[in-house]
Amino acid sequence: MTLEIQNLHVRTEEREILHGVDLVVRRGENHALMGPNGSGKSTLANTLMGNPSYEVTEGRILLNGEDVTDADPDERAKAGLFMAFQYPATIPGVSVANFLRMAVNAKREEPIKVKEFGRLLGESMDLLRIDRDFTSRYLNEGFSGGEKKRAEILQLAVLQPEFAVLDETDSGLDIDALRIVADGVNRMRVPERGFLIITHYTRILGYVRPDFVHIMLDGRIVREGGPELADELEDKGYEWVREEVAASAP
Amino acid sequence: MPPSFVEDRRKAALEVFESQPVPTWRRSGFWTTTLRKLRLGELEPRRYTPLEELPEIVRQDLGDEEHAGLMVQRGASVVYTHVADERIVMMPLEQALEEHTDLVAEYFARRLPYDEGKFPAATAAFWTGGMFVHVPKDVQLERPIQIVWLIDEPGTAQYAHTLAVVGEFAECKIREYFVAPDLAGQALHAGAFELYALPGSHVNLAHYQDWGSGEVYDLSTRRVEIRRDAQVKWVPIHLGGHLTKQTLDIITAERGSDMRHTGMYFTERDEHLDLFSTDKHEEGHTTGDTVWKGALTGESRASYEGLIHIVPGASETDTYLQTHQMLLSPNAKGDAIPSLIVEVDNVKASHGGTVGELDEEQIFYMMTRGLSRTEAVRVLVEGYFEEVVQRLDDPGLEALVRRRIADKLRGAEQQVREFVAERAEAA
Repeated sequence: MTLEIQNLHVRTEEREILHGVDLVVRRGENHALMGPNGSGKSTLANTLMGNPSYEVTEGRILLNGEDVTDADPDERAKAGLFMAFQYPATIPGVSVANFLRMAVNAKREEPIKVKEFGRLLGESMDLLRIDRDFTSRYLNEGFSGGEKKRAEILQLAVLQPEFAVLDETDSGLDIDALRIVADGVNRMRVPERGFLIITHYTRILGYVRPDFVHIMLDGRIVREGGPELADELEDKGYEWVREEVAASAP
Repeated sequence: MPPSFVEDRRKAALEVFESQPVPTWRRSGFWTTTLRKLRLGELEPRRYTPLEELPEIVRQDLGDEEHAGLMVQRGASVVYTHVADERIVMMPLEQALEEHTDLVAEYFARRLPYDEGKFPAATAAFWTGGMFVHVPKDVQLERPIQIVWLIDEPGTAQYAHTLAVVGEFAECKIREYFVAPDLAGQALHAGAFELYALPGSHVNLAHYQDWGSGEVYDLSTRRVEIRRDAQVKWVPIHLGGHLTKQTLDIITAERGSDMRHTGMYFTERDEHLDLFSTDKHEEGHTTGDTVWKGALTGESRASYEGLIHIVPGASETDTYLQTHQMLLSPNAKGDAIPSLIVEVDNVKASHGGTVGELDEEQIFYMMTRGLSRTEAVRVLVEGYFEEVVQRLDDPGLEALVRRRIADKLRGAEQQVREFVAERAEAA
């Protein structure tokens, strides 16, 4: 069971952003995708989910062997793919609980029973140490940056996807919130689930240890390795990667 | 014999009505509301005998919610009156003129001049039946006061007048329903509504309009006066009417008065809606908060103009007006205009608004959680109106409004889906 990205080229109206990305995430694995601002990390995440603002011009995305490159976002969600947004949209008038119930039901034939949903939601909220009154608020309306991130991880916990992409979930969190979120993610790391954690900083990787690290620069993955690569990056910074890449260029 | 102040007003109003042409409303050459298709001469005030039971359409809308009092006027006649709470006075206005002459004389038409136009004059001249509500001083009602205006035959002209007086420190909910089945033919509702919220009172007021898909014209004026330290929460809901032209004014008349004005409309097919509301602050140290939200489908037209007017001397006023409009069809046309007239210094007054279509970012977000595009749109539109619906603070009425919004979205589903898909393509 895999999420497979093959030779992915992606453009917006203005320009090409990804110039051929290859990446394979197997269930049970935890991958970190790192890179400086503007390197194309969020473009990759959005393309994986089928954001209509990005166009795939070459290559493909396979989910458990099935080509989903042209699938609508809801089909990908139903196939087991999830993204925690860096900047999630605000949905006025729709409470967190209502929205989650709709999302859970979207994947099911029969609507979930009220009691069962209550239990699922309660457990997930305990996991992330979220107050009960949080779920009656309108989704992301008036939420602080940290609350938005927590609401994203709450959705991850309730929806239990096969593959989860976390797009800079760590940015904007204070250390306590980061610990709680990281703790939640760790508990969701099960053999049935793969993670792709996109981050600018190495900070979250201190709490959620990756199995594989990929470094993206200017729309390409330029370095890959184990967790030690993140440590090296922590010491030397992105300039080091940039220089290395420049030095090895023909 | 009715008191002379009513008869004199009728005579004077009749002269105005007869001397004025049928109006056309134009604004800046862009927006026109015309009555040229209205065949006024073919409509008549139909009289009916009292009913033992509520008509089916009324029962459906009201549900089995308990009330403090309920009155129904069908065409030109009050056909049903049930006062469950004996602390209040609720009776046809014609009857109140006889039985509560002094009270009616004190308030009747105080804020409703008969010479504001042809149709206000028609209403002043021709009203029959009518509604009178008095919630005496200190009375606190749990259950709502319900007033229903029913038109159930084409060819009906309904000239309506409601006078409501809420006494000092009284608290109540007043709901007016305007309903018709899907009529085959024309009908007219020309209405006048006035509410006086006396010092210290709290009124939760709602107007629920759903004239069905027939050719019903609604030309009405509604005014609310709020006295010292009183508060009125007013929620006008427009869910149907062939052509609606209304003036909705809410006036903080004395210090410490507070208005919460939250309205919505959802137009479809070839409906035409033209609303002009004024939040008028006549005294200082008053507060206001106005939010209007609309959605348009089909080939409908909807214009909402909201004015904040702060008169000289009304300093320390704090008020805000927001207007939002959402287009759900390429063939619908909308207009939402907030404006300010501030004739005094030292006030806080601002306005803001959006006219827009559905937000692709929100749709994408919801789709990544497994909702289809159609579901995402439905949830977004329902959520958009939820802020207004919750202000009703009335579970029965809230449920009715939610149900009707959902019905309308289902009715327009194909069209909305095509519109959204077209826009997604374009994006």
